[in-house]
Amino acid sequence: MQSKTSKINIDDTVLVELCREGDSAAMERLIIKYQNRIYNTILKICANVDDAAELTQETFVKIIENIDKFEGRSSFYTWAFRIAVNLTLNYCKRNVRLGFKSLDAQSDESTQQTKKVLKQFLTDARSPDPAVEVQAKEIGELVIKALMKLDDDQRTIIVLRDIEGMNYAHIAQVLNIELGTVKSRLSRARSNLREFLEAVLQ
Amino acid sequence: MKEKANIDELLNSFIDDELTERQQTEVQRLIANDEEVAQRLKELQKCKVLLSSLPFAEAPVGMLDEIRTSLERRTLLSESPQHFDQRIGTRHLLLRRIVSAAAMIALVAVLAGVIYTIVGPESSVDRPIIADGQQPPALDVKVEKPKPSSVTVADKSIPQTTAAEFNCRLELSTNNLFAADASVSRAIEDNDILAYTIPAKQSDKRIYAISCSRQNLASLLAALEKIWGRFGSTSFSIDTEQEGQYITVDEVSAKQIVEIVNQDSLEGTIQIAKDFAVLNRLEGFLPQRELPSLEDEGITAIAVPKPRLTSNQKMVKKKYTQIENEKNVHLTIVVTGN
Repeated sequence: MQSKTSKINIDDTVLVELCREGDSAAMERLIIKYQNRIYNTILKICANVDDAAELTQETFVKIIENIDKFEGRSSFYTWAFRIAVNLTLNYCKRNVRLGFKSLDAQSDESTQQTKKVLKQFLTDARSPDPAVEVQAKEIGELVIKALMKLDDDQRTIIVLRDIEGMNYAHIAQVLNIELGTVKSRLSRARSNLREFLEAVLQ
Repeated sequence: MKEKANIDELLNSFIDDELTERQQTEVQRLIANDEEVAQRLKELQKCKVLLSSLPFAEAPVGMLDEIRTSLERRTLLSESPQHFDQRIGTRHLLLRRIVSAAAMIALVAVLAGVIYTIVGPESSVDRPIIADGQQPPALDVKVEKPKPSSVTVADKSIPQTTAAEFNCRLELSTNNLFAADASVSRAIEDNDILAYTIPAKQSDKRIYAISCSRQNLASLLAALEKIWGRFGSTSFSIDTEQEGQYITVDEVSAKQIVEIVNQDSLEGTIQIAKDFAVLNRLEGFLPQRELPSLEDEGITAIAVPKPRLTSNQKMVKKKYTQIENEKNVHLTIVVTGN
């Protein structure tokens, strides 16, 4: 007998409700729906592939274990990201040195050519199709290196906005902060990131 | 600086499409009129582009299975062993409760011991009766325990404590018990210590159990000194706080008692009582009692000045509890008729 959720496109509220009733197919659909986004966000915050996988796994275990406590005051999406971000930030506090270590090793591989391309992109207003330029692996690594120089709070907010694409209201919910704080923190994060990028290119 | 931060915030909100339509129009006008702001906007946009163009990382293959396995493992861990853990927990909790209860009982016992040591009744039958409102015990006054003799306490046993509170007894003998009783009663009444005195009458004895301050006692003795000569013998005993051990001063004078009582420490009290005991005995052995008495030296009656006000402060009558706190002398006066 097929599960109720097997072929129907249903929203999170229904999936959560089914999951509470013990529908494992609903649980799997929730995991499949969000695993990549949560993993990508965690990875950009903690910068370690193995830890990101472990944290993603822990996030979903926590979600399933606490699904009965989800009251629906926010969306499932923000609730799930809140769990993921909290776990990741706790991890960052515990392993403050680890992320930087791995990135420092990578930075040596950045060639002068990569730096030149990135510098040109940042300074030249006529630089063509920046997205294509950034797709280059080396440039991405330089950006992540600069990203990791931000403090945890600034890195998290910039990742949620510019990588996950979350709006300010959702960010406020996930981080449990005021909307004004979101604006000011994000502004500082971008400004600092710009400075760190310039420093990387020196 | 603050303005630059505000502009940055506004530009970032503009980039993220988080402004109202009106705010957007204003920012657009600002960008059009200010080249510096326009340049800043481009810088911030590039930051955003750089980040949003980073490659999207997908979760490792098998994530779902990993999560499922992890959930199953946790479910198993939280099921069967949990009952076992709960039993251990219950036992541990019970043990802790028993240990806590035992510790509590031990603590109470220790506290009780300490309290009993401080306020408990003394073993000696000679302990003066305290005027605390209780019924006085049957005064079958067989209180002759401290023999009218000399010093009975060895030097080494003198306690080194302060005389915050002490017990003593004054034995007086008279030919006219009725008159002596009247005089003593009047002296007690005149010195306002009647409320703290428990009198008892027997055919050949009058007993007054008094709890009062040193000041009260001095006043009382000053009053008694006037009739001191009517008593055939006078004997004053003090409790050394060594069980059953007393120092008795025979043929004691009222002034000597005041001096004994007014010592700052029990050690001092005992020492001076011993001195007086020896002195009075020596005087008794002399045929003509050649040792000069204090009266001969020009010291007459004990003059205890009544307290008087030295300022404009109104005299406030002491409350009972206050007086209670000052009662640190327990004196039993026994007047025996010959």
